[in-house]
Amino acid sequence: MIKVIAACVIGAVLAGGATFMATSLATDSTATAEPVNETLYNYGDR
Amino acid sequence: MAIACEGGARGGAAARWAVRLLPWAVGLLAGVLVLGPALGPGYVLRYDMVFVPDLSLGTVLRGADGFPRAIPSDAVVAVLSLVLPGDAVQSLVLLAVFAVGGAGAARLVSRAPWRAVPAGGPVAGPFAWVVGGLLAPAAAGSAYVWNPFVAERLLLGQWAVLLGYAGLPWVVGATARLATARPAAGFAGLLRALVPAAVGGFSSVALTALTAGPVALRSDGAGGAGGARRGRRGRAGAGEAVPGVRWWGRACLFALALATVSLPWLLPSLSSGADTDPAGVAAFAARSDTPFGVAGSLLLLGGVWNSGAVPAGYGEPVTASVRLLLCLVALAGWVWWLCRGRPRFGTGLSAAALLGFALALLGATGPGRELLAWLIDLWPGFGPLRDGQLYVAPLALVQALGLGAFVRWLTGHRAPRGDDASDGPGGRHGTAPPGTGSLWRVGLAVFAALLPVVVLPGLLWGAGGRLAPVHYPGEWRAAQAAVAADDRPGAVLVLPWSAYRGPDWSGRPVVVLDPATKLFDRRTLWNDDLVVGTPGGGSIVVSGEDARAHRVAQALRPDPRTGLPERLDAGTLGALGVRHVVVSAPVDNQFWSGVEDLSVVVEGPDMVLLRVDEQHVRPNKAVIPGLEVTGGLVTVGAIIWSIARSGSSLVFQRSGPSAGSGARKEIPK
Repeated sequence: MIKVIAACVIGAVLAGGATFMATSLATDSTATAEPVNETLYNYGDR
Repeated sequence: MAIACEGGARGGAAARWAVRLLPWAVGLLAGVLVLGPALGPGYVLRYDMVFVPDLSLGTVLRGADGFPRAIPSDAVVAVLSLVLPGDAVQSLVLLAVFAVGGAGAARLVSRAPWRAVPAGGPVAGPFAWVVGGLLAPAAAGSAYVWNPFVAERLLLGQWAVLLGYAGLPWVVGATARLATARPAAGFAGLLRALVPAAVGGFSSVALTALTAGPVALRSDGAGGAGGARRGRRGRAGAGEAVPGVRWWGRACLFALALATVSLPWLLPSLSSGADTDPAGVAAFAARSDTPFGVAGSLLLLGGVWNSGAVPAGYGEPVTASVRLLLCLVALAGWVWWLCRGRPRFGTGLSAAALLGFALALLGATGPGRELLAWLIDLWPGFGPLRDGQLYVAPLALVQALGLGAFVRWLTGHRAPRGDDASDGPGGRHGTAPPGTGSLWRVGLAVFAALLPVVVLPGLLWGAGGRLAPVHYPGEWRAAQAAVAADDRPGAVLVLPWSAYRGPDWSGRPVVVLDPATKLFDRRTLWNDDLVVGTPGGGSIVVSGEDARAHRVAQALRPDPRTGLPERLDAGTLGALGVRHVVVSAPVDNQFWSGVEDLSVVVEGPDMVLLRVDEQHVRPNKAVIPGLEVTGGLVTVGAIIWSIARSGSSLVFQRSGPSAGSGARKEIPK
């Protein structure tokens, strides 16, 4: 049982680390700008 | 649950409860992680997602001209707002999307009759249900609610569509059970599963029809009466032979259930006479938001038309490539499950996913756009086909279930061949402890179950802060109260003459449908034309459906740059049935100053409320359509009947074969 739990923890830690890296990547990249037309607002921009 | 059944003898009640509650826990946890700050006090405003304090039920029911898109979703919100604050209702609704969706997908995997690991397998014995029985459903649940489809629709504010999406696994399960259940029991179970779609309205029901319709026509493993009898005996456990429902019977029951939950919007829409602008085909077609083109983006469950609804970092080559790998693994898992397990809904759901993918691609090609425009010209009811990316929802379910199957495979469980469930859902477990050499598969299974989060971190914690709650300024509440206190009839005209705003008080620039369109307890007149920007700097205008709004535009002739009329005239406004004019954005010129018989009731930087002298107002009589109310009552009555018939709630319904004599009471669905 302990081995199974250890394997689960390792898998979760790996996933957490990968998420952290991907989050950094997502933060560094420029999010798509909100489509704002200064006076009136579009429903959205393609 | 398969493994839990045997766990009943071994692990006892705790294990069964863990398996029973896990699907909901996965969905709730995902919901909390995604929504984060959005669950706090205040209203999350974003594109189509507009919640206001004290939403008026009467106003929702009276509605506007055109297609009743806000029915019944806004009506349900208005009813809930009678007992809860509006922001609490919003939090509940958003959280329900994740809880219901995650739980539904997880249960479809956990109820499947997997065969257990033979002794000496990678993970066997008492560990088997821990890794296989919990991880695989968790993977399916997380994948279903943590993907680009959910992210983009959430960022587009389409919570009602997401509610219907959340109900899809439940409807698929209930539809598959039509083949083995008595007709009345199957119908009642289907109605219960359709509750989220019923609340979601037209788009949700259309999505449900696409996803579960093929399942109704084709349920594997119970294709004929014999199969149905086998299934029924398995459920009843007493050799009771019940005539199965053939495919046409299932199709009729499915269509009847869909029609029943659609009555609130179906009846008024048939008499609305609304037209759908074919220009929307080009505006709302799927687009590429990854390096893999439109088809690749749709395969990854992204591709929404609006570039402002893409989560941060999603389209980056690295994350998109890992996402593509995850999709391929999930599809491989699905094929493995189809070949080895033949789930009853397998063929039907696969067909739905393919059909949906083809529909989503239609708008991305020239001939496809022409076909869609022709169809919409032919009948406005084809209008929802414009938003092609919507129809990858069945593929999202396939990929989620496929990831669950992949995790099952990793942990060494084998799907049964065909209808072979002779060893019971739980099967026979080996008693050997896990081999050290195979423990890496457990770790890999945990990693795979969390992979949906890893490849889409932009959805974390309010989608990186893009879903943040705000409070309505005091002037807005004052205007709402002033209009409510006025006992003279007449509509509210909303200016500037444009549907979407970027309110300064929302903290950061967020485009949202003007909340003033829902704030007041009477008919509002606003510009329901939709303007969509194109990559070249141009724009596409999709004409609205409100005929009265068109008349207002013709009478006021607002400046297309500012959305404001040059001047207001109380007589003109009164002739249009307008009692109040709301200016719900900061404007430079006070075009209302000096106008006779037009008084300022509330004035602030973001909100001005003007009142037209009552002598000018010729109000249009707005009534609540009897047909709409009747349809709603029939739907509510049918849902109450289905719940009463089960003697239970959604939480405790079984969706799969009985786990055996040690299982809890079987409640047909």
